[in-house]
Order: sequence, then C-alpha cells, then structure tokens
Amino acid sequence: MIVKVCVGSSCHLKGSYLIIQRLQELIKENHLEDEVQLKGSFCMGKCINGIPLEIDGQIVLQVGITNIDEVFEKYILKKGE
Amino acid sequence: MKFFVDEIHESLNHFGEELCGDKVEVVRQDDSFVMVLADGLGSGVKANILSTLTSKIIATMLSEGGTLDDAVSTITATLPVCSERNLAYSTFTIITVDKDGYTNITEFDNPLCVVYRDNKPFYVNREQIDVFGKNIYVSNFMAETGDKIVTFSDGVVHAGVGSLLDLGWMYDNVVRYVDDIVKKGNNIRSILRDILNTVSSFYLDKPGDDSTVSVIEFKKSVKGTIMVGPPMKKELDYEVVSKLIHSDGFKIVCGGTTSQIVANALNEEVEVTIDYDSPQLPPTATIKGIDLVTEGVLTLGKAVQILQEMNDEDPDKRLKSLAIHKKDGASKLAKMLCEECTDVSFLVGRAINPAHQNPDLPISLNLKLQLVKECAVQLEKMGKRVNITYY
Repeated sequence: MIVKVCVGSSCHLKGSYLIIQRLQELIKENHLEDEVQLKGSFCMGKCINGIPLEIDGQIVLQVGITNIDEVFEKYILKKGE
Repeated sequence: MKFFVDEIHESLNHFGEELCGDKVEVVRQDDSFVMVLADGLGSGVKANILSTLTSKIIATMLSEGGTLDDAVSTITATLPVCSERNLAYSTFTIITVDKDGYTNITEFDNPLCVVYRDNKPFYVNREQIDVFGKNIYVSNFMAETGDKIVTFSDGVVHAGVGSLLDLGWMYDNVVRYVDDIVKKGNNIRSILRDILNTVSSFYLDKPGDDSTVSVIEFKKSVKGTIMVGPPMKKELDYEVVSKLIHSDGFKIVCGGTTSQIVANALNEEVEVTIDYDSPQLPPTATIKGIDLVTEGVLTLGKAVQILQEMNDEDPDKRLKSLAIHKKDGASKLAKMLCEECTDVSFLVGRAINPAHQNPDLPISLNLKLQLVKECAVQLEKMGKRVNITYY
C-alpha cells in the first residue's frame, strides 16, 4: 500500500511534517513497515481544505493532526486487513 | 570571458578596531577582472583610508584601461602622509585577468601570493621592476580551469607573534599550510575559512594586525537554469520546460505545481522524499533529468536568506555562512547556485496558484516574484551573471 502525504507549500505550513511523523509512528506501532510505503507528494491541488492524503490512488481530504489517528485506522489499518 | 573568476575574501580586524586597515576591491567587467588587496600602514581609521584609496584607485584605473605606472604614480601623489611616521604607504597586490585568461600579478610589499594548478603549487616567475622608486614584482601566466590564487596580508604571516608563537606563523609555514588544504581539493570558501580560523586561533581570537585572505579560482562558465512557477498561459508550459531541459549545466525546478508540469512534459514521475532535514522546510523531490527539485516559495525564501547572509555587511554572519552543510532544499539550492553555477537563468511563471489564495496563508505571487528578484540581486553581488525571463 502506498500512502502519499501532500508536502506542498500550503500543506507544509498546515503541518505535513507532523502528519508524516505521526504516520511513521503509527506504522511502526502496528508493524506495517513492510506493507505500507509512506511517500511525499508536492501540491495535489486540494489545498483549500486540510492536508490531502492519497492512499492507493484514493484521495482522502480534510486530514489534520487532530484526526490523523482516525484516518489511519479507517483507511490504512482496516484496508490492510 | 573564457573563465569565470570566482573570488572570495574576508578580513579579521585588528583587535578593538571597528575599521579594517586591509581592503580588497574587485572590479568585474565583460572582458576583464581586477582584484586589488591593499594593506594600509598602521591600523584603524588611518590605515582604512590608505588601503581604501589605494585599492579603489588602482582597481578603477586598471579596469578603465590605465597602465600600472599611471596607477602607482597616482597613488604616490594622492595618499595622505601619516603625521606620526611621515610616510604615505600602503602595500598592494593586484591580480588582473583578461578575457582569454591571461593573468597578471603585481605585488608591492605584500606577502607573495601563491598560485595552484591541479591543486598543486604552481611556480610563477616573478620579475622585479622599479616603478617610481618602488620595488615591484610582476608575473604573468595563462590561466587554466581550476587554477587557484591565494593572497593574504601580512597579518596572516604574523599571526600569533609574541604570544602563542615567538615569530608568528611565518610565510613559509603559511604557504605549507595552504598547500595542504588546497591539495585536499576543497572549494574556495572552505579554503578561506580554514586559513582565517587558523589565523584567529593563533591570535587567540584577538588579532594583533588586520588579517585578510583572498582566494580566487578560475572556473569554466557553468550555467544554472531554474524554473519557478507555472507559466501564465498553459500553452507556454511546453516551451518553458523545453528551455529548461535543453539548457546546459544545472537544471533546477522550484515549486510543487511546477515540478508536476516538468514531470508531465518529460513523462517522468515526481518522487517526493519524506526525509526532512529540518521541519521548517518541505522535503525535496527528484525528477529524472533534473538536478534539483524543491518546493517553491518557502524553500526559495530560505535560500535567499542564506545568500543574504553570505553577502551580509556583518563579517561574523558572513564567516558563519561560509560552509553549507545542511541537506534541506534551501541549503542545496543556495549551495548549487553559489558554489557551482557562474551564470544563472530564472524562468519565472506568473500563474496565480489557487492554493495560495487562502487568506490565512502568508504566500502570494508577488512574494515569489520578489524572492526571485532578491535572489538575483544577491547572486549578482557574488559576481554571477543573472537573467530573469517571465512567462
């Protein structure tokens, strides 16, 4: 599974760095290092609302540090099962 | 010019003095390069005036086509006479390079400069001539790519005299030290930094004399082309990208949308890393065929800040900025522009990025254009030829 996090200018200012850090932690905690490949992506063109993630081609909008744990559970953990 | 003459110089002031008694003057023209390092008698204000007059007069006269005789006689007639010593005196070293790389070194009472070819000492034959009663050494050689010239004032030779070292660092030892660091193949900024750090430590951080070092390297012209921002009209995308990929030298892309445009045109992917060197800046990316891919305004802004520090009026800031070790996008960009490129072209797209219309974000198109302009100003201060084209 490939998870891309937008790290464009706008998303960077909104906290992509924290999202990536948290995702790295979550991947480690759930021992998904071999299954999930975390990547960056420059501007996905969805800058107006939150930080977008692209999970195996599916765009997930409105991601922020407050809901990243839920997004991880819903889109990454569940899908992996 | 056959070569780009890269030059960097820095001084340590006599302890407690606000002004430096050494002065380096560089004049670049389309077909010539002139560098003068002058060391005025004494220290402080008087020395500063002497060395400023000397370097300025010589550099201006020579670059306007005057002869050495004219320049020396003008200085002799112009320099104010020191009331204490009844002397009007400033030593100097002049290095001139013509458009074919023919290099002339003229030295009066400064420590003799050292020339390197292939990072090994290169012997230049010095002829002694008499100009208005002054013993002047003149030497000429045809420069080759990679040749370096290290020039220093006597403050360097005397470093540590009377305190740490009885006789100071001494000329032969300075040359041996410089031989060693040049041999390592370091760039001129790091050579300069190493010499000055050593001088400063021999003086126990309290220089007893103004100490100045200038390092020159003859470089082949290396172009750098930077595409910043998407063009205003979409039809121009292909034209701008093809300008970029068909340019010689380094190819740089700044901006998220911009890198997407370039990747699409090349049928390649933008691979964005998630290796942050510092959380302050977005990570860099790679596109096959492009030397450096970074995010736009934030990276550019930081890079401009680094270049500004290199040209800062405060010598402490300049000294700190001599080496760029960090691996973030801005540092890589600044390093590439300042250490590798001699000619820089900006291809600036003026499309308004919808992402940046968010009023909460401190980003605007105007800001990007300002940053490119400021970047150009700083690079020009370093002697680089810069041009900006808007699309």
